[in-house]
Amino acid sequence: MRNGGRARLLLVILIVTSLFLITLDLRGVKVIGNIKQGSQTIMSPFQRAGSVVLTPVKNFFSDVTHLGRTRNQIEKLQAENAKLKTTLIDRKNADAQLKQLKKILDLAGTAGYKIVNAKVISNGSSQSFSQTITIDSGTNAGIKKNMTVLSQYGIAGVVKDVYPSSALIQLASDPSFRIGARIAGTQQIGILTGRGTRSGSLQLLDNSTTVKEGDVLLSRGSVADSPYVPGVPLGYVTAVDNSAGAVAQTATVRYYTNFSTLGIVAVVVSGSAANPGDSLVPVKPRVTPIPTVTVFVTPSPTPTK
Amino acid sequence: MLTRQISTAAPIFLLMYIIQEAVISQFRLPGGGFSVLLIFTLTWAVLSETEVAAVIGFAAGFLMDLSQSAAGPFGQWTFIMLMAGYAISYIGYGDDNVRANAIGIIFFVVIANLLVEIAYVASGALLGVSSGSIIQVLITLFGMSVWALLVSPILLPIFSRLHGLIFDSRSAL
Repeated sequence: MRNGGRARLLLVILIVTSLFLITLDLRGVKVIGNIKQGSQTIMSPFQRAGSVVLTPVKNFFSDVTHLGRTRNQIEKLQAENAKLKTTLIDRKNADAQLKQLKKILDLAGTAGYKIVNAKVISNGSSQSFSQTITIDSGTNAGIKKNMTVLSQYGIAGVVKDVYPSSALIQLASDPSFRIGARIAGTQQIGILTGRGTRSGSLQLLDNSTTVKEGDVLLSRGSVADSPYVPGVPLGYVTAVDNSAGAVAQTATVRYYTNFSTLGIVAVVVSGSAANPGDSLVPVKPRVTPIPTVTVFVTPSPTPTK
Repeated sequence: MLTRQISTAAPIFLLMYIIQEAVISQFRLPGGGFSVLLIFTLTWAVLSETEVAAVIGFAAGFLMDLSQSAAGPFGQWTFIMLMAGYAISYIGYGDDNVRANAIGIIFFVVIANLLVEIAYVASGALLGVSSGSIIQVLITLFGMSVWALLVSPILLPIFSRLHGLIFDSRSAL
């Protein structure tokens, strides 16, 4: 009986403590943040070590998981390679290709963003239904909270928390991720929300505007470039919902970034002086016609004596 | 006695937390993956008295709240794990159908794992945490349960042995 009473008392004390912790956190008490920061500072060397040690294992599993896809990709790349070889033979086409390649390489520089590159050292666990990653750079590298994070294709996420040598990134696929978006060209604006997958949901803000499949979305930018710098490619519209009675159009958007394969990301530590506008819109692949030359052989007249 | 046992178990929980954060989190497993700390705590709770289960549930929840991937307010996991630990121990402790049977423990842990995640989503919704679309949540819950079902039989003998070493009550699992 005495034991039962003690157990109940202990349970009540622990319940009150946990509810007290929730209340403190919801009220924004700094102590809680400091505890989390301290734990992350301790954990980041372990995560870094884990990342280094487990990279070959991760690569192996990734290869096994993507076996079919990898084979398709190899075939695709081989075909592309053959096509490029053919193209290179043609001098004129080669010049055009080189120009295009230069443009792609200059993409990051076009916007004039000052970036800090970082390696992904941990993927957030899905047990909390959130989509996050941890990178190996933090305040020591000039990273601050609410900075835009880029992948090689466009938006990756936003810095949610930052520590001396690591930072927590909320991925753009996280269900609580929101970003102001505008459609390249038409300049219509809307809000893009994560869905927990590579697809996002776009809600247009104006009911008089329309969106169509294939439209490219760019970030609209925030005040003082925080949390989002303008002009970052987000994704493209894959489906439009035209349900009657909706206040404004909604659409499904596929992000350019593949969040499950993020290895290196770039944190934008300062935006460009001028809005890059639509300059970062990815160039659509164009089919270049191969010119065919038909040669008619005309026999030379028979020499006459 | 209780303090000694809990303080002996604390480093093991810390180790599980480090394994979860530094190793398991490196892999983006399909279907949401699994939490070794969660499975460990639930298994430990099944094998322990209610008092011990409540304390270890509280401690494990606190560690889970420290995780960078915890989306909810600090204390949410602490509260859920405390309740889960106590409830599991209350239902399972003393019942030989559960404790003396490895399959019983595995199913108990898998169901508890699912219920804990459902409680997390439900309480998160009340506290204003976005968890994604219902379909996405259901897929993740299903995936996590499958993972728990796959992983628990492998981990149970290790966890049971560790529990036996600390509490001198190793069952023949």
